[in-house]
Amino acid sequence: MHETSIVNSIMRTLEQEFEAEKLSRLKGIYVKVGILSNIEPRLLHNAYSAFHLSNPGYQNAELHIESTSLKIQCEICNHVTDVKNYRFICENCERPSKNVIQGEEMLIHKVEFDD
Amino acid sequence: MSTIEKSTKAARGTAQCENTNINLLKANDYVADIIKKEMAKAGTLLINITSSAGSGKTTLMQKTAERLKDKLKMAVMVGDLETERDAARIRETGIQALQIVTGGICHLEAQMVHQVLDQFDLPSIDLLFIENVGNLVCPSSFDLGEDYRVTLMATTEGDDKPKKYPKMFLTSDMMLVSKSDLLPYLPFSVDAVVKDAREVNHEIEVIQVSSINEEGIDEWCDWLLAKIQEKKG
Repeated sequence: MHETSIVNSIMRTLEQEFEAEKLSRLKGIYVKVGILSNIEPRLLHNAYSAFHLSNPGYQNAELHIESTSLKIQCEICNHVTDVKNYRFICENCERPSKNVIQGEEMLIHKVEFDD
Repeated sequence: MSTIEKSTKAARGTAQCENTNINLLKANDYVADIIKKEMAKAGTLLINITSSAGSGKTTLMQKTAERLKDKLKMAVMVGDLETERDAARIRETGIQALQIVTGGICHLEAQMVHQVLDQFDLPSIDLLFIENVGNLVCPSSFDLGEDYRVTLMATTEGDDKPKKYPKMFLTSDMMLVSKSDLLPYLPFSVDAVVKDAREVNHEIEVIQVSSINEEGIDEWCDWLLAKIQEKKG
C-alpha cells in the first residue's frame, strides 16, 4: 500500500520535472533507497509492475533500485561508522551520534531516455 | 528540504541520461515547509503524536485537554483510516477536534494537514496536536511541519520496539512510555526500552506517563507549556 503511493510519487515527480515528449522516451529510472526509508525494494518492484497495468504510457521504462546501508559520521572525531543493530554510536570514540550520512535517502538519482 | 541538483549529460550510446537528486518526498516536504511558516506566523506550537494503534494517544489527548484547556487554547486534528470516533472522544473534553479520514492510507501527509488548516483559527490557538495514524512505520517518513515529534510507547507493546522501528525513534524528540499504571502486571522493563531508544537516538527525551493514574502528566504538561513559551518567544 505504501509502496504504491511511492511509485505514484515517483511518476508524479518525473512528470513535473520533464516534458511529456521526453517522458515518452523514458527508458530507465534509478532510485536509491536507504534501509531507514522503510521502502522494500521487492515490494517497490511489484508496485511498479502494478502501476503499468493502469498506466500503459511508461511500459518500456525499467526501474532500478539501489539499497544503501546505514552510516553515521561522528560530529566530534569525523569517523564514519557502519551502523549495526541500530546502535547509533561511533565505533572510534564511542560517542552517540545521530548524524546519518547514508541510509535515509529516498532519491531518484538518475533518469535515462531513449535517443 | 533537500536541494535539487540536476545536470544534463551528453548522450551515451543509445541512451541519454540525466543525473538528478530528487527526493521522493519532495512534494511532501515542500508542503511541510508551508505549514511550518504558517505556524511560525500564528505562533502556534505544532506537535505530531505517533505510536502503534492502541497505545493511548487519544486518551492522552483527552487528559492533556482536561489539564490545559483553562490555561491555553488547544486543538487536535486526528488521522484514522475510517470513522470519526477519536475526534468525537476528544470533543467531549470541550476542545476543537477535527477528524482526517485517510480512507485506507497508513499515514498522514503534509498535504492532508494543510488542507484542513483553514478550519482552525490559528492565531488564537497556542497548541495544535496532530494525532497521527496508529503505525510506527510509515508516519516516520512524512514531515508534517511539526515543531516536535512525540512517540508513545505503551508498556503493553513490549520493551523491544525502538530497535524494531528505529526510524520512528530516530526522528522523535520525545518518547512517552504510556500505560505505566500497568507496569506491575507486565514483563516490561523501562530501563531496557530507554536504553534501546537512546542507542538509536541519544537525544530523545523520556517521560513515563499514565492517563489513568496521572503519573507523569504534570511533567508532560510542563514540557508542553515550556515549549509554547519558547515558540512565542
